[in-house]
Amino acid sequence: MKNVKLLVLIGLLSSSVTAQSSYQEPKLPKVSGNVNLTVWSWVPNLDKTVKEFEKIYPNIKVKVENLGGGPATYTKLQTALKAGSGAPDVVQIEYGYLPSFIDTGGLADLTKYGANEARNLFVPWTWGQVSPDGKSVYAIPQDTGPFAMVYRKDIFDKYKIAVPKTWNEYAKAAEQLSKASGGKVKMGNFYSTFSPWFIALAWQDGGQFFKRSGDGWVQTLDNSSAKKVLNYWNGLIKKGYVSTVPAFSADYWNAAGAGQIATNFEAAWGPGGYASSMKTKSAGQWRVASLPQWKAGASASGNWGGSSMAVTTQSKNPQAAAAFALWLNSSRTAVETNFKGGGLFPAAKAGLKLPALSDKTSPPIKFFGGQDINAVYAKASEGVNVNFQWAPWFPAVDANFNKQIDAMLKGKLTPDQALAAWQKESLDAARKDGYTVR
Amino acid sequence: MSQGTLSPPRPRRSRRAVSSTTPWLFLAPFLLAFAVFYLAPVLYAVYLSLFIKKRVGFGPAKEVFAWFEQYSRALQDTAFLQSLGNIALFGLVQIPIMLGIAVALAIVLDSVKGRAQRFFRTVFYLPYTIPAVVAGLLWGYLYSPNLSPINQTLKAVGSGTVDMLSSTVVLWSVANIVTWTWTGYNMITLYASLQNVPTDIYEAAKIDGADGWNLTRYIKLPLLRPTIILTFIFSIIGTMQVFSEPFVLRPLGYVPDNLTPNTYIYLAASRDAQYGYAAAMAILIALVTFLFSTVFLRFARLGGDR
Repeated sequence: MKNVKLLVLIGLLSSSVTAQSSYQEPKLPKVSGNVNLTVWSWVPNLDKTVKEFEKIYPNIKVKVENLGGGPATYTKLQTALKAGSGAPDVVQIEYGYLPSFIDTGGLADLTKYGANEARNLFVPWTWGQVSPDGKSVYAIPQDTGPFAMVYRKDIFDKYKIAVPKTWNEYAKAAEQLSKASGGKVKMGNFYSTFSPWFIALAWQDGGQFFKRSGDGWVQTLDNSSAKKVLNYWNGLIKKGYVSTVPAFSADYWNAAGAGQIATNFEAAWGPGGYASSMKTKSAGQWRVASLPQWKAGASASGNWGGSSMAVTTQSKNPQAAAAFALWLNSSRTAVETNFKGGGLFPAAKAGLKLPALSDKTSPPIKFFGGQDINAVYAKASEGVNVNFQWAPWFPAVDANFNKQIDAMLKGKLTPDQALAAWQKESLDAARKDGYTVR
Repeated sequence: MSQGTLSPPRPRRSRRAVSSTTPWLFLAPFLLAFAVFYLAPVLYAVYLSLFIKKRVGFGPAKEVFAWFEQYSRALQDTAFLQSLGNIALFGLVQIPIMLGIAVALAIVLDSVKGRAQRFFRTVFYLPYTIPAVVAGLLWGYLYSPNLSPINQTLKAVGSGTVDMLSSTVVLWSVANIVTWTWTGYNMITLYASLQNVPTDIYEAAKIDGADGWNLTRYIKLPLLRPTIILTFIFSIIGTMQVFSEPFVLRPLGYVPDNLTPNTYIYLAASRDAQYGYAAAMAILIALVTFLFSTVFLRFARLGGDR
């Protein structure tokens, strides 16, 4: 195992020499004096990546603290920002949650440290996420989660199902599979407790949920794309063609591994989770294909998750912190190690073409039968709608989604009613919190 | 004068001087810790609860002093009131069941002698040694709709399955975890108090002809009464604080934010950064808990006087 890793490393080093000229590296500022940086991130093996940074900046020492990610990190960050001390210099935040932290005033505007000049290094839609007003930049994009379809090749082969190219074909395939398997195999799964998953599917259709307007906001959780997508899925759920198991639960991994679910829609960071959670169960049987389209021949995609690196206003060395965030997410060395060690699908444009992404020895690619899955995701990344915004009260919106979908699944609300209730209750909450929103 | 010769005034005065400050010196560490870890957070929560967020356009909100606006908001917040309703229903059902089992177990255990007694005492107490989070994870697995061994058994028997994590059932799934964890703990308390009953009372009762059920009904249960009241009060306070179990079950299905007051308050503070609002609700919960336990104590005493 160690030898394999060593070989990979040698391969990487030699390939980096040949391909260096084509990779666009970030311009890094000079930082003087001795600096200590603290970084909060949930990316595995980040401490190894950081050592490379310390080689470029011997005067900067970086300490990585892994708080486990998601809610755990946000709670601690929220508290530290409220308390006025205890926050790190650099912190990882998902795009959807970024506005709620920008809103606390606890994140530094990085334009002072040359962030705007790095704009062209990143996949275009990510910049709108870190620079919501097009002027201030509150974070450096780290990874993205463009959407694609994962599917079980063995099940498709067994029941003679062609890979669906449109949502229409997907629904037909679902019916065919249900009949052929006697209802034992579900075509897909609706992640009923993860609004970003649903939002990504509506995002594909051009759905807009939040928009800044003048001095306030417009929220349209019940937009036409959301209605279309939710009605479509509710139809499949009611017919029994798809299950509604929560994401990342033992229940889901068990069902997917046991061949009870034939497809799902996952972000670019998803395959790593499939490989590590199902291990040998159904290994080699999975493949990735582009998202089915509403319009035949189109190549639109949405995005689920992905994250950015922000600098807090509590940082004593925002210049060094900004340099670190920039290096970590756009330098070839870092992008490569973050992908290999942490499964981060690069937000850096040049990163999408790295040979490391198609390395056949990586566990996700092996789990996906050796397919060059990241080529599919890189293509999906290009199809992600650029104009997509989140609102600062998104955490509450996310929670309310679960409530309305639960009512819909119990048959208490129609999809349209569920979306209307989602819109109304989230609007009330945002207004109570003092936002000007309509 | 003679008094003066017996005990000289000087040392006496100094002893008196010492005695007025010494208790405070001994108390100081406690009082300091009490002030820092108990009073200060409570006072800070009260302070926080008087502020409300105000926003103008974009950017961070300002915290504005607003007297009791957060409290009136809480009292009009149907989700918050619902959480109180949930926990009241929870307590009304769960506490009598748990204490009923605990009393029964304590009495049975009290009449068993020897090695069996020690064995069962440990077995019943064991669940309490498991942290709430671990217990939640453990039961979460047992509840998982498709993985649950309970459901698999039901399926094998040919009966319908139950989704223990369904939002309408999950309150009782939590009640089951809490009962499982705390019954043994309460049993030990009750059992200890039974062990302290002097044997001559039993002997006297036996001479009077009380045995078996009568002994339990007329001797043991009345003697247990103060301890049952104590465990009841602790259970009321504990019930108001149910948090870990529902929180651990959240990723496994849809658990409403306001299943219990504490989950709702925690999310208001940590997820929505509504510190003032969370503080106001927390103080209301403290008052409600205080009210419940006082009312219960009053009723329990009334019953005792009769």
